[in-house]
Amino acid sequence: MPIIVNLDVMMAKRKISAGELAERVDITPANLSILKNNKAKAVRFSTLEAICRELDCQPGDVLEYVKNE
Amino acid sequence: MNQKWNSEKSLFLSRCLTIATLALGIASLFCIPVITEWYDAVSGEEPIHIVLNIVLYLSAMLGIVALWQLRALLNRFAKQQVFVTENAACFRKIAWCCFGVALLWLILTFWRFLAFFVAFIAAFAGLLLRVMKNMLEAAVEMREENDYTI
Repeated sequence: MPIIVNLDVMMAKRKISAGELAERVDITPANLSILKNNKAKAVRFSTLEAICRELDCQPGDVLEYVKNE
Repeated sequence: MNQKWNSEKSLFLSRCLTIATLALGIASLFCIPVITEWYDAVSGEEPIHIVLNIVLYLSAMLGIVALWQLRALLNRFAKQQVFVTENAACFRKIAWCCFGVALLWLILTFWRFLAFFVAFIAAFAGLLLRVMKNMLEAAVEMREENDYTI
């Protein structure tokens, strides 16, 4: 997929663990893992909003478009 | 009645019927020469026991393959694995088995026109199964999209 999720980078910057973020965003650690490992097919706006709120960032900091070669 | 009929029991019945039909299919392999000899004696037409033997043996084998796939399908249903790609593959294989039987009986039409009806029914069953396979593939895609929407 050309959309890359840079959640682990932002989590490292904010020094927040996966378990803590999952709890704050109100999703399961398994779903956060799917998101982190670029296995997700779609992200709800409500999830993205919660992630941006908790990590104090913009959607562009978490999601990145990479052109396919 | 104390015990109500439920989907679990229905699935168990389907599995039992599939295994029984599979056993019948395997047993029929031993009876085919007798059936063809009997048919030639009764029909009163030109004997076709060699062609009929070949068609029946190949049809029975395709039937056994289809029933084996059906058994695998029902086993996965029992494990709650319904919308998975393996099931779509099972439907595809069963559909091709039906088309194979249809082709064999279509060839037999050169000797006996009534075989055309068997060919038509087998082809129609194959077509229905193929449509079901397409539906299952779409359902698998929808399930995956749903499962991977965070």
